[in-house]
Amino acid sequence: MQRKAQIKVDKLTYHYGTGPPVLKDISFEIEKGECIALIGQNGAGKTTLAKHFNGLHRPSSGKVYIDGTDTASMKVSELARKVGFVFQNPDHQIFHDTVAREVAFGLKNLRLSPREIEERTAAALEAVGLAEHRQTYPFNLSKGQRQRVALASVLAMRTEIIVLDEPTTGQDFRESVQIMEIVRKLNENGHTIIFITHDMSLVARYARRVLVLCRGEILADGDVRSVFAAPEILKKTYLRPPQITNLAQRLGRHSIPPGVLGVRELYELLVKMRREKIGCCN
Amino acid sequence: MAAVTEYISRNSPIHRLNPLTKMIWALSILGMGLLFNDYRYLLALLASVLLVAAAAGVLRSLLPAAAGLTVLALVLLLVQALFYGQGQVLFYLVPISNRLAVTGPGLLSGLAMAARMMALVLSFLIFLATTRTRDIVLTLVEKLRVPYDYAFMFTTALRFIPAFLSEVRQISEAQQARAYAVEGWNPVKKIKAYAPVAVPLVLLSLNKADQLAMAMETRGYGGGRRTCLRESKMGTADYALSAFLVLLLAGSAAARLAGYGLM
Repeated sequence: MQRKAQIKVDKLTYHYGTGPPVLKDISFEIEKGECIALIGQNGAGKTTLAKHFNGLHRPSSGKVYIDGTDTASMKVSELARKVGFVFQNPDHQIFHDTVAREVAFGLKNLRLSPREIEERTAAALEAVGLAEHRQTYPFNLSKGQRQRVALASVLAMRTEIIVLDEPTTGQDFRESVQIMEIVRKLNENGHTIIFITHDMSLVARYARRVLVLCRGEILADGDVRSVFAAPEILKKTYLRPPQITNLAQRLGRHSIPPGVLGVRELYELLVKMRREKIGCCN
Repeated sequence: MAAVTEYISRNSPIHRLNPLTKMIWALSILGMGLLFNDYRYLLALLASVLLVAAAAGVLRSLLPAAAGLTVLALVLLLVQALFYGQGQVLFYLVPISNRLAVTGPGLLSGLAMAARMMALVLSFLIFLATTRTRDIVLTLVEKLRVPYDYAFMFTTALRFIPAFLSEVRQISEAQQARAYAVEGWNPVKKIKAYAPVAVPLVLLSLNKADQLAMAMETRGYGGGRRTCLRESKMGTADYALSAFLVLLLAGSAAARLAGYGLM
């Protein structure tokens, strides 16, 4: 079955000014509806790569296509209709005196009707759990809440593709899960999701495909299970699979597969093994 | 865009000089630049500044800044050439109508102004590019007896420029990603259109200043007499070069009084 890629990156190389290349001859495709985690150590080029999807960076050589259109010919403000981008620091974007107005900013830029703006703002704030904060001054909110305001302001634009740059940094566990659950719902509703993170347990729980970047090159690209099943590759970029996968790999000389992603999954495997009396556990 | 006031790490003889020597150099460029107004002298001065940049290995890094200055230099040149108003008319900027005359001496005086401006600014940028901020502070405080508060203020201001530029970039990226675009030529609209960048910038800057103040206090700023870990040492080369520069400046002043380098 041949499907057309929604995002196509073709031999992309990028360097800042006259510096050394940050991305080296990268090629891959992303299809509509995928949920992808972009991982790699600091400075691997994750954010730099992501910024190519909405035209904030232009390839030094190579091409990036969104829905078959070369991004080189499009303005960032045009691409913003297709690709939403949630930045790490919400304070780089918040400037309105109420949460609702902040969320409506992007919608006004899209020149939507007041009714549409009103409706989408309410829905986005509902989705991130800030409906009761419509009229709140954003800087009276906590950092975690402001992060969700920024998320809502991108959600409201209802772009087909949503890029999230470390959406859970600085959030406690409950807030992280809350944000990632929103992301999961968006993905279920057909949005293509690309998120950057350092938290491997979030990758195991929420992503279906993983792109591992290392010094500007793609080290691995595949479904989460197979990427985590090869810890020696991850090691090259100083990443470790989640603890539970690690544990399974240590236990699993005999019959536990190396790509276990959750506690529940490992538990059930162990119970099954015990019942069948195979391997080391009896 | 890279900030032009940042230190550029190289291992050149210029980098190894004492900050005081480089400060004297920048000041003597300033002095000589102001003493003379003959375009030949000032172009020579500019050439010497560029040579120093090349010797320090920072010429390439300063090129973007130099290119920016050239635009300013051209404006200076044009303004001077147009309003000098003496000497033989070379050509008219608006042909046939005999309006906006450009004269020979006007052009040369403009050239002198442009060369002077570039030499002065570049010498200061080279000083910053070849000297670590902490060494500047050390020299200001130890050698020149500048109160530490003032030295600290000076360097904080310098440090702030690159941080500020990087914030501006990040903020405008975040707003563009929400389909924001500055459009049209209406100046009132344009000013209003800067709010999405200006407001977060001001808030972040205030926040940053606040945090800096707290961080300084928790580390005992203003808690009594300061001592220094490292010493600022002048080597033989430093003394020789400083003496040479002072003599050169004195010689230039004498030459100027004798009538050289004037137009």
